[in-house]
Amino acid sequence: MPKPSDTGPVEIGQLMSRIAAGDRAAFAALFQLAAPRVKAYLVRLGSSSAAAEELTQDVFLTVWRKADRFDPAKAGVMTWIFVIARNRRIDGLRREASTVTYGTTPPEAADDDAPSAHDQAATTQSEQRVRQAITQLPPDQQAVISLSYWDEAAHAAIAQTLNIPLGTVKSRLRLALMRLRAVMEDL
Amino acid sequence: MIQFPPADPRSVPNHHPALDTLTEYAAGQLRAGFDLVVATHLRGCARCRSEVAALETLGGSLLNTIAPAPLNANALAATLARLDEPAPPPPARNLDQLLAGARRRWIVPGIWVAPIDTPHDPDDRVFLLRVGPGASTAHHRHSGAEMTQVLSGALSDGGIIYQAGDMVELAGDDAHHPKVAGDQPCICLFATQGRLKPTTLAGRIAFALAGV
Repeated sequence: MPKPSDTGPVEIGQLMSRIAAGDRAAFAALFQLAAPRVKAYLVRLGSSSAAAEELTQDVFLTVWRKADRFDPAKAGVMTWIFVIARNRRIDGLRREASTVTYGTTPPEAADDDAPSAHDQAATTQSEQRVRQAITQLPPDQQAVISLSYWDEAAHAAIAQTLNIPLGTVKSRLRLALMRLRAVMEDL
Repeated sequence: MIQFPPADPRSVPNHHPALDTLTEYAAGQLRAGFDLVVATHLRGCARCRSEVAALETLGGSLLNTIAPAPLNANALAATLARLDEPAPPPPARNLDQLLAGARRRWIVPGIWVAPIDTPHDPDDRVFLLRVGPGASTAHHRHSGAEMTQVLSGALSDGGIIYQAGDMVELAGDDAHHPKVAGDQPCICLFATQGRLKPTTLAGRIAFALAGV
């Protein structure tokens, strides 16, 4: 049984199809489940609390507008939201300079010709499997993984933070990613 | 206008960005301009698209483990009130338009350069370079990292031939002397951190003209 605060696969997957149909109650439920994590993500990457609030609203407006394009066969809900939040953050940082979007990465702009081996349950479950797999990594690999996603630190800065050579950061990251990839390919 | 053929959805070139580069891309941590080079590679590389999708799944899983940060009490109500706002206009240009619309500047017969308007650091350079068959770029050093995506033709560097679809990454301290391979002109997308430092006088003149 998932914990109450947990964004379990069944519940969250059902929310998305309802949101795509224009169900505001479902949107509110997803917001309450996921928005505090999106805000935490943005704060971890250096946004002020106020800016993170603003960006989180933008992320969820995008979720609402693009809900019909969410394809559960291609990505889990949290992965989809992660990609939207990542892109909104980059857009926000660069808004002054340009209005360019590269928009080529799956899953937000998934390419329709790519074969999909996953069904809906599998992709959402894959996030949970990966999550479990992360907790089973040695602590040094866990540290490298989360630092490279959460703290705006290039690998050189990670090396400095952890006081280890850059080569070690890269080899730890590679090891961790190989283990995680094995988990994902299993699905 | 420069037209690039649509990539075969299953094509996999031979030379790829390093795994940590793909990780930085998936995590949204790559420098502006460099992420454009990776995005261009991804369009033509099924293998790296699948790597990035896996790394994004990792991002989604990490998002599930992060300690939630409470929102303002009115955040949900404020967001619900905005649901009927009209969607913002789509971005002015996408990747294809960006590359196709770049203005070429001929430097010498056979060579043009076209700066790309990404929001990159003013000290970085992001540009397309076209070099005719048989020509080579001046021997040069970098003040920082360089990424190159081959868009058409082929490039020879350090004894390796890079074909259209391949990506090359160089660290800051490498000096090199890339040449066009084969009998077709070579068009590449470059992102360089800081200015290039040609090691000869003729190279300095050419690079100054090209603004790279």
